[in-house]
Amino acid sequence: MGTESSLVSALREQARQQGVEPTDEDLEGVLEFLTRILPALADIEERLPPETAP
Amino acid sequence: VSLDPFNAFLYRNDEKGDWRVAVKDVIDVAGMPTTAASKVLHRVPDRDAECIARLRAAGATIVGKLNTHEFAFGALTNSPHFGPALNPWDPERTTGGSSGGSGAAVAAGLVEVALGTDTAGSIRIPAALCGVTGHRPTVGLVPVDGVVPVAWTLDAVGPLARTADECRRALEIMAGRTLQAEAPRRIGLVTRLFEEANPAVAAVCEDAARLLGDAEPVELPLLDEIATITQLVMLPEAAAVHTGWLRTRLADYGPDVRARALAGLLLPSTAYVTGRRARNWVRSSWERELAEFDLLVAPAMPIVAPRLDAVPPDYRLLIMPYNSPAALLGLPVTVVPCGLVDGLPVALSLTGRAGEDGVTLAAAEQFQRQFEPEAPRLYTNPVSADERS
Repeated sequence: MGTESSLVSALREQARQQGVEPTDEDLEGVLEFLTRILPALADIEERLPPETAP
Repeated sequence: VSLDPFNAFLYRNDEKGDWRVAVKDVIDVAGMPTTAASKVLHRVPDRDAECIARLRAAGATIVGKLNTHEFAFGALTNSPHFGPALNPWDPERTTGGSSGGSGAAVAAGLVEVALGTDTAGSIRIPAALCGVTGHRPTVGLVPVDGVVPVAWTLDAVGPLARTADECRRALEIMAGRTLQAEAPRRIGLVTRLFEEANPAVAAVCEDAARLLGDAEPVELPLLDEIATITQLVMLPEAAAVHTGWLRTRLADYGPDVRARALAGLLLPSTAYVTGRRARNWVRSSWERELAEFDLLVAPAMPIVAPRLDAVPPDYRLLIMPYNSPAALLGLPVTVVPCGLVDGLPVALSLTGRAGEDGVTLAAAEQFQRQFEPEAPRLYTNPVSADERS
């Protein structure tokens, strides 16, 4: 619970720095999405041939 | 009798014509409001998007603007501000989206052609669920100026119509050139997408696919990764489109679109670069393994249209493998209705190589010479022949 709340706080700060003021409910949804996609992102980063350009 | 029993239109004029075209409400039409089914955007442009100008010059009568998922950023067409588009086959079911008004308007016979946009399936999904033909063009074939973007490197404007012939006509006008009409030479059957579909849907699609000719089983390289990679590209691009409004109008977005835009804003910046690199990884794998195939066949959707009050919680995840590959690689896809399951339409997707839109359309035309799709059983066409002429 404490970890989740600190992650939501970190996301809120990141949004504020971009001038956006989401609610806690918004940020909990974002956190759920990030929790799903970030491990998949890490896996792709690991397997991506290093010479691949953007 | 309502002239729009399926809530397909957000704006409608009373112009008459022989070739009636309606336009998803993310594409500018001079003098008609563009809202993207949102509370945030309301502009009345004084000039047509280029694709509209080309259609008008070729004789199209633009009759209105069509319902869409808010900002074309979702797969249901259930804007909280304008209400859902209703599926003419069963008005208690979704049209899919985001071009759901386009699918409904063609299925109900309200127009000859509807324009949609497709970022990650938004023409193909409603075409499949509404039982009409739809074509997602190769990215870049149709100009997108005057179109509200979802994600710049993925967006494509394309037609939905009763037949592939009608889609070809509209597409050639919008593209400003004639497309090839050669049949495919080597066809791949994407077996995994048949296996993962609802068994009744898969069975109808398998039977229908035989009409296309001999096909070989194929696997799509990196299919498990493609949905994620598409998100890594699409969400940050979409967030960039919306940043200004997220700062000033956040509460005016519907919850699902707000969540997706915020997710794009808050992804690490390296995610977008990784997404672009991974797209090239996928492209080179496809070129290596599928170069000999000029048509890939699969079910367009793994399910029939869900009820509006019972959309599966994993709907998006379920449909991504069917829609993300062509989106990520900017490939052309023609969706053709190919039968019914429980009285609801099922469709095949015919994916071609980049720039070979004419091949997928030719395959669809050949298919439709052998298979005539049914009209909705609840078919309602409130526009009489007198009104049309």
